[in-house]
Formats: sequence, C-alpha cells, structure tokens
Amino acid sequence: MTPRLAVEGIGLAFGGVAALRGVGMAVAPGEIRGIIGPNGAGKTTLLNVICGIIPPGEGRVLLDGQDITGLSPSRIAARGVRRTFQTTALFRGLTVLENVATGLHTETRAGLLDGVLGSRRLREEEREAAERARQALDFVGMAACADRPAHALSFGQQRLVEIARALVAEPRVVLMDEPAVGLSLNRLADIDRLLRRIRDERGVTLLLIEHVIRLVMEVSDSITVLGSGAVIAEGPPAAVREDPAVVAAYLGTAVHA
Amino acid sequence: MTVRPLWVGLAAALALAVLPLVANPYLLFVGNQLSIFVILAVGLNLLVGYCGQLAFAHAALFGIGAYGTALLKVHLGVPFAVSLPCGALLATAVGLAISLPALRLSGLYLSLATLAFAQFTLWVFLHWEPVTFGAGGFRVPAPSWPIPGVTAGIGTFYLALALAVLLTLAAASLVRSRLGRAMIAVRDGEVAAQALGVDLLRTKAMAFGLSAFYAGVAGGLQALMLGYVAPESFDLFHMALMKAMIVVGGLGSIAGSVVGAGAVLFLLEGLRAFKGAQEIAFGALLMGAVILAPRGLAGLLDRLPGWQERYLRAAPAERAPAAAVPREAPP
Amino acid sequence: MLSYLLLSGLTTGSIYALVALGIVLVYKATGTINFAHGDQLMIAGFLAFTLHVLLGLPYLVALAGAVAGSFALGAVAAQVGFRAVLRTSLVNVVLATLGLAFVLKGFARLTWGGISDYLSFPPLVRPEPILIGDMVLLPQQLVVTAGALAVMGLFALFFRLTTIGKAMQATADNPRAARLVGIRVERIHLLAFAVGAAIAGAGATLMAPLTLLYPDIGFMLFIKGFAAAVLGGLTSLPGALVGGIAIGVVEALAAGYIHSSFLEVSAFVAIMATLVLRPRGLMGGPPPRRA
Repeated sequence: MTPRLAVEGIGLAFGGVAALRGVGMAVAPGEIRGIIGPNGAGKTTLLNVICGIIPPGEGRVLLDGQDITGLSPSRIAARGVRRTFQTTALFRGLTVLENVATGLHTETRAGLLDGVLGSRRLREEEREAAERARQALDFVGMAACADRPAHALSFGQQRLVEIARALVAEPRVVLMDEPAVGLSLNRLADIDRLLRRIRDERGVTLLLIEHVIRLVMEVSDSITVLGSGAVIAEGPPAAVREDPAVVAAYLGTAVHA
Repeated sequence: MTVRPLWVGLAAALALAVLPLVANPYLLFVGNQLSIFVILAVGLNLLVGYCGQLAFAHAALFGIGAYGTALLKVHLGVPFAVSLPCGALLATAVGLAISLPALRLSGLYLSLATLAFAQFTLWVFLHWEPVTFGAGGFRVPAPSWPIPGVTAGIGTFYLALALAVLLTLAAASLVRSRLGRAMIAVRDGEVAAQALGVDLLRTKAMAFGLSAFYAGVAGGLQALMLGYVAPESFDLFHMALMKAMIVVGGLGSIAGSVVGAGAVLFLLEGLRAFKGAQEIAFGALLMGAVILAPRGLAGLLDRLPGWQERYLRAAPAERAPAAAVPREAPP
Repeated sequence: MLSYLLLSGLTTGSIYALVALGIVLVYKATGTINFAHGDQLMIAGFLAFTLHVLLGLPYLVALAGAVAGSFALGAVAAQVGFRAVLRTSLVNVVLATLGLAFVLKGFARLTWGGISDYLSFPPLVRPEPILIGDMVLLPQQLVVTAGALAVMGLFALFFRLTTIGKAMQATADNPRAARLVGIRVERIHLLAFAVGAAIAGAGATLMAPLTLLYPDIGFMLFIKGFAAAVLGGLTSLPGALVGGIAIGVVEALAAGYIHSSFLEVSAFVAIMATLVLRPRGLMGGPPPRRA
C-alpha cells in the first residue's frame, strides 16, 4: 500500500551545520505518528520541510506517492497537508470563525471581482464557509466562541481553534507541533481523546511532535525518534521505549513529563 | 436601535450630494477634495492597514494618476473619459511593477525601497521638463460634461462623489471576503497564512495593485478638480498626510479611512495658511494617534450599537435571530 | 576631475555615514528605524546655528550645545513617545517616528524659517583651495571628513570600552539574555535613541559649514543615511561607513559625469537597484530578532 506521507533521504544544512541527515519515514493512511527527540534534534525543521516552508537540500517528500518536494507552502496546503504551530499562530485581527474560515482559502474560488461586487457566488461561498467553519469549531468544542476576536481567547482555547483551522478543509495529513505545550494535566486527557477522534472520525493522518512523553506514547500508533538530525529508532511505542539507542540518546536524559 | 456603517456612509454621501445646491465655491472645493481623500485613504488602508505592508509610494502613485490623466489630455488631446481610466491603469501598472521586487522585501527594506521610488518619481516630475513641464507644473483644461447646464466644477464634484461611494463600497465588500481575510492573514502571520494555502505573492501583489488603482483614480480626479498639476502636491508631506488619514481613522478599517480622510481635510483647511503649523499638526496627530489611540477613530465607532464592519458570522441573521446565537462564551 | 569628484563624494559620504551610524545604533538596540533621525539632525544644525551665528559663541561650544541638546531631545522623544509603541509593532514605531519627523520639521520652519529660506554657516577654516599636484583640496572638506571619522572612532571606542557601550552591544545581540543578566533593556532602548540623536547633533554641526541649512534637509539626509545603513547590512558600523561613502561617491560621479540634476536621483536609483538584486543590502545577513 502506498504510504499517505513518505519522506526519503531528507538532508538539510544551515550554513554548514547539518540540521537533517538522510531522514526517511513512511506514514500509513489513518496513522498517528509520533515524532520525538531531544531539543535541537530537527523535529520542527522536518515539519517545515514537509509543508514547504524550508526547501530541503536533498531528498523527496511524497504525498500518496506524488512528489511534492519544492512546491510552495500554499500549494502543499492546497494538496491537503495542514499544520499547527508550536506557539499559537491565530490571526489576531480576525474573529475565531474567520480564523477557521481562512483554512478554506484553497477550497473557495471567489476572485477580486466577486469580492468587490459582492457577487452571488461570493455570498454562497461565504455562507458555506461560515457553516463549515462552525462545524469544525463544534468538533473541537469551541463553537460558543465563534464570534469572539481571536486574541481574546485563552492560550488553551487558541490551540483548539488552531486545530479546527487545520481540520476545516478536510486535509489528508495534519502536522502538529506540540499541541499539548502549556496545557494542564487534566486537559491532556482531552487532547488525547481529540487526537483519536481526528483520526477515527475525520480519517486524518497525524504527524505529532510532542514533548509530553506520556501523551505521545499513549496516542501514537508508531513513533519515530530523531537525534541530531537523523532517525535513530522507529517502531511501536512499546518497542521504542525499550530501544537502548533511544534510552541512551533521549529518554535517559530528557524525560520530565 | 442599531447603527450600520452602510447607512451612515450613504447618509453622509447623500448630504454631500446636495452640497452644490447650497454651498459657495470654496465649500464645493472642500467637498470635492473630501471625496478624493476618501478614495486615497481607503486605497492606502487596504495595503498598509489590511495587508500590513509598510509602503511609502502612495503619494507618488497619486501623482502618476494625476500626471497620466492630465498629460494624455494636454499632449495628445485624449478626452478625460479615456485619460482618467488610463491614468488610473498607469498607476496600477506602476504599482504592480514596483510590487514585484518589493514582494521579496520585508518590513523596513520595503519602506526604504518605496521611499526611494517616491523620491525618484518626484524627481521625474521635476526634471523631465519636455513632458512634465517641470517644477512650475501646468494647467489642465476644464472638462466639459455632455449634460446641459452642468458646469465643469459640478460635474467633477459628482463624478468624484460617485467614485468615492463605489470604491468605498467595493473595498468594504472585498475586505469581508476570502481575499480580505487572506490580506489580514498575511499581515498577522505570513508563515501561518502560507501554511493555510494563502499565496503570499498573489495576495501582496493584489493589495499593491488595488491600492495603486485607488491612488491613480484619486490623482486623475485631483487633476480634473484643480485644473492644475504640479510636483509639490505629491511630495513627502502628502505621503505623511495620507498616513495620518488612515492612522487617525484606524488601520484596518474602511469606515475609519473615511472618517480619517474627513478629519485630516478639516485640519488641513483650518491651517491652510501655515505650512509649518500644518506639519506640526499632522506630525503630532500621527504620533499621538499611534501612541494614544492605536485603533484610531474606528475604535470609537466600534462602540456604537450594532456597528459591525467586517465579521463573517457563525449564523447568518436570516436563519437565526440574533438573540438565539451565543455571542459571548460565559466567563 | 575624477580625483576631485571622488574627494567631494568622500566628504558627503562621510556625512551620510555619520547619519547611518545613528540609524544603525538605534536599529541594533531596538530592531526599528527612527524615521525622525534626519529631522533631529536638522534641529541640531539649527541649534548650532543659533549658538554660533546668532549668539556668537565659539564653534566648539556650539558643537557641544548641539550634541547635548540633541541627546536631550532624543531621550525625551524616546521616553514620551517611542517607549509605548516599541512593544507593539514595527508599523506603529515607524509611523510614530514619522510623525515626530514632521513635528520637528514644522517647528524648524516656524522658528528659523522666517530668517531666510536657506541659512548659511560661516566657514571654519579659510575657504581657499589647496593645490597638491593637480588635486584640488578644500580645507573645509578635509575638516568635515576628519571630524566625521573622529566621531565614528570615538563611538567605536565607546562601544568597546565603556560599561554602557558593552551593555548596548549585549542587548543588541540578545535582548533576552541581556535582561537575564540584569541589564535594564528599556533604559538601553532610551539610551540608544538619545546617543543616536547626539551623533546626529555632532554630524549636523560638522556639515553645517559645508551645506546650507533648511527644514527639508532632515528627511533627505535620513533617506540617504537609511540607504547607507541598508547597503552596509543595517547592523554593522563599518558597513554604515562603507555604505555612506558608496552613496556619496555615486552621487558625486553621477553629478559630475552625467548632469548635476542627477545628483539627487542617482542615490535613489542605486538603492532600488541594490534592493532588487540584494534584498538585504550589499553586506546584509539575516535580520536580528526583535525583543
């Protein structure tokens, strides 16, 4: 079976310093893949390469077997790869609903003329966009906040809205950069449930960078461990936990969760 | 009782429309200038307030619209019905042309490039004498309107008013659409906007082109209204004046652009005789607004009951009564 | 001809470099550009004019007065105006400083504009040119160039040797770490605006005998200084020197070999061309992170 998302031999250097070295992995459709590793291992850089923000020096990124390496971030987003950010990145000047509706930019077609004339197509698209955005907010439990300005939300609420924004266009893959950062322990169970629902109810393949080891071990179908820009282990959570290379490089030094 | 921006704006336009019946020539001039300033401010706010691009070329593009319109008439005898749109399109083309390299520049580098472009344009107005007539400027023949009984001044007044209303409505509609949200997204976070499929280049180029088009239309109207074009109308002082309009009115607000244009015009006319005092007043206004009232007059407008400029709403009003929609989450 | 043009370009260029130095200093400390920098310089020039020409005080006293007055003006502007907006956004800082630029310009027009449109400053040294071989040197140019270089040298020493200078450097390099080691970052920002303005004060007094003084000179010098700073990479002090001299020489050559009216515009064309080819200037690296 073709993997939903595959990276092959990704290498990248910043000014002579290797950030990623021959990284390869294949993620099956409907899988939750955890990516862990110590700080500076290249996790966020890998996400940036996959979604086109940083072009890789070498290697390929394949989405359902199609090469998407070197496409612009907006093209890759249009193909159905979406992400959330480590620090929340909601647009402060928009309402919660408008933020989520921005996720439908590639799904809508109204152009400049529609925009300035307020055409029928525009109005129909807008009505549909508002409805889909509201449903996505409902999915993460934030529908009640739809009309509030984004900057008025708490940190945790902003993270949920960001997830809704990444989901609204029914993407094939969502890359999540530390969704649990800054959340209290009792919210962790909610995130755990939400991630499973994203996979089960919406059929989304998830790539998850996470420092909260307990969460990532519980929710992931399999885990890739990065160390110094290279893959040092891969497999089901239980196996990765026991892997001596991982224990040496990572778990032994950096588990505080 | 709700106050809708659309009603207030149309009521103001209607009030302006009866001005020629009662006003003296000076007030007519001020009313005409108001329409032109509104077009300028709305256009600049699209680029700076909505799309967040720190550009300083607006006065120069205003000038390109004025020179383009007037010179086509003076040198080639092209009627205003053709030269005005041509002037506006010329400004748009130049705006798009400078946007192409400018799109690679961010923040301060963009501001320097556009400042240099503005000074370059002013230099061309001043020194390309065979075409632009140099520092002294040149006279533009008065337009003739095909409607009997309509004088040149009255005709230009209504043309400017009609264009101001149409272009303001167009901008107000655009900023509520997906393209408006894309501009705001680019302003508030370029990387996140891209990751959602918003094309940075296209969005910024659109904002540059639109804003240049508005400046060009305003420039053509200015040439018609004054019957005279000279380089000094498009210098750095006028650039600061336009910045003051949108900052005082409110960055990222169409209604604010309109109100800000009015406020600046009022002050400009009040201090007409004193260049130094004008500079102090506008400089202080700009600085004071940024520091003390960053949302500008639009911040006050937003407190009016029912005043809503932009929101895409969760439940369209015709399907659910407003009271049934939870607008605020309980604290 | 060429040597004369190069020399006069070098002189103007060293003035631009001095303007750029103040801009770079503020940028390094705060991550923003002070659009009122040129107008602060212009005000300092008028201040020196008042002290030296109107009140008859010695030139060096006028220089000290202009530097001190400029420092105070910069500190007040930063404290009253810019402090509040530094935390918000780049657009806000630029617009606030642009507002101040026009306030200063209008103030100068109302205060000194009545005397004459263009004020001239008496020469410092005898105006007769010196001939060395076939090179023509104006003593005034030599004094200005030497003075500008001396101010830059002093400033470099200040950065290297004094505690305040080191604290400013540390804040520029890493604001968060600077805060952690107990440097009061807000005070450094204030100081950067004030010291930047003081440098502008010295520059104004140095160049006043060579050029005429008028209210619009400030923003013109600001654009040239800004361009020089960008050419030099915005964060580098030697870069500002090289950028300033490059612009001065380009202007002198364009005026000498094409037409005198090209003096003004050549700098703008050069800036636009440079930014199209090298979006971060000739020596530009990545921009520093904002605090």
